[in-house]
Amino acid sequence: MSDQIPRSGLEAAFLTHRTALLRFLVARGAGEHAEDVLHELWLKLRVARSGPVASPLSYLYRAADTLMVDRYRADKQARKRDRDWTEVQTGERPGESQEPSSERKLIARQYAALVADRLATLGPRASTAFRRHRIEGLAQREVARELGVSLSTVESDLRLVYRELATLKDEIDEA
Amino acid sequence: MAQDETVQDAAAAWAVRVGDPGFDDWESFTVWLEQSPDHAAAYDRMASAVAFAAAAEPPLTAPALDVEPADHGEPSRRPARRWLIGGAVAAAVAVGAIGSWQWTDSGYAIETRSGEMRTVALADGGSVVLAGATRIELDHDAPRRATLDHGQALFTVRHNSQDPFRLRVGDDRLVDIGTVFDVKHVDGAIRVAVSEGAVAFNHDTANVQLTPGDVLTGSKGASGYRVTHQPAALVGEWSEGRLTFRDQPLSDIAADLSRMTGLDFAVAAGAAPRTLSGSVQIDSVRKDPKMLAPLFGVTVRQSQGGWTIG
Repeated sequence: MSDQIPRSGLEAAFLTHRTALLRFLVARGAGEHAEDVLHELWLKLRVARSGPVASPLSYLYRAADTLMVDRYRADKQARKRDRDWTEVQTGERPGESQEPSSERKLIARQYAALVADRLATLGPRASTAFRRHRIEGLAQREVARELGVSLSTVESDLRLVYRELATLKDEIDEA
Repeated sequence: MAQDETVQDAAAAWAVRVGDPGFDDWESFTVWLEQSPDHAAAYDRMASAVAFAAAAEPPLTAPALDVEPADHGEPSRRPARRWLIGGAVAAAVAVGAIGSWQWTDSGYAIETRSGEMRTVALADGGSVVLAGATRIELDHDAPRRATLDHGQALFTVRHNSQDPFRLRVGDDRLVDIGTVFDVKHVDGAIRVAVSEGAVAFNHDTANVQLTPGDVLTGSKGASGYRVTHQPAALVGEWSEGRLTFRDQPLSDIAADLSRMTGLDFAVAAGAAPRTLSGSVQIDSVRKDPKMLAPLFGVTVRQSQGGWTIG
């Protein structure tokens, strides 16, 4: 890092709030790797962006949070691959078919269908709230206005959906 | 178990709060996370399941979404893609001198047919997996250099800061910073995706650093590139026999399927241009091209010497 002068609001914010971001990453589960993740974040910032960012610090936190989610997903996938590999090497487990593990991987479309099924069990309002917010990117306040309910109702719907999706993901990963 | 339920409820509540584009109470979030390592774990479980579901779900009305959930939350500017314009980046980034590119005539080429996949060992211990319809040029005298003439290849190279691995792709240059990366070069368009390590793109001009999960795309004749994100685990998955499309135009899907299966796929005349998402086993498509129909919701027909989709 050979930067003497911060070049943008983002990088200035990064340098100013480095300690707070590091603390966040440690708490967020990066532990001893927090410095590495922070460096990864820095590298990403160096990729130029178009347009100013409304609140640089919040942007940085969010980017750090997203990085951690990505790491978690990559990690889990790697562990699953290792497990699948072991299964292939040691033959089938009792009661399981001997399909190649790659065949068992769930394709996105099938997953989408399972998500839709699960959302349907939570009722139309909850599933609409989820779609409008997470898939089409509306703020929760806008979703509330659209549905004619309070913000706290939308939040509580979304909490239900998130818990259900986490359960579904667990079931699939263990399948 | 009651304890766990409480933690899961709290994690869901935080995932909801943090997920809103306007969220800014990172201090309180940090304090909650610091209360117990279980909190981060529960939050990860929640946030990743939601991101996964959101990525799998097709949008109802909005056009292509990035895989990255809410792309770092720029309010009201979705999909917030990062466009890179060479000049601006060059001005912004201190360029490290990594020597000049030299290409000699002692090279040789390796070429694959459509549907063929081939792994080539590199002199330095690394390897390249070539997808179908691909041609790379290597040089006995310069084992750390290669050219991807056309097609797609997954590079696994040993890093050596004294002698970095360099890849030429059309007019573009890649320098590895220790790594596994996938490069596609078809009809003048370039796509670089990094699985492990890092890659510098056009280090002497734009010098864009790509880290795992970054996907850089650029089209022929355009001066700008854009960088999007995908799970790093998906990079190069074609080398394991799987192809995943995310909101890709039908024409690209037909072209990719042709190169990968060796069958000839074309877009049906009169088919409406649209983008599709889905994931297929290359082998299954080769055995039964009609399996694409239910998967993508397209019509698949056999035509002279090939297949049309639309």
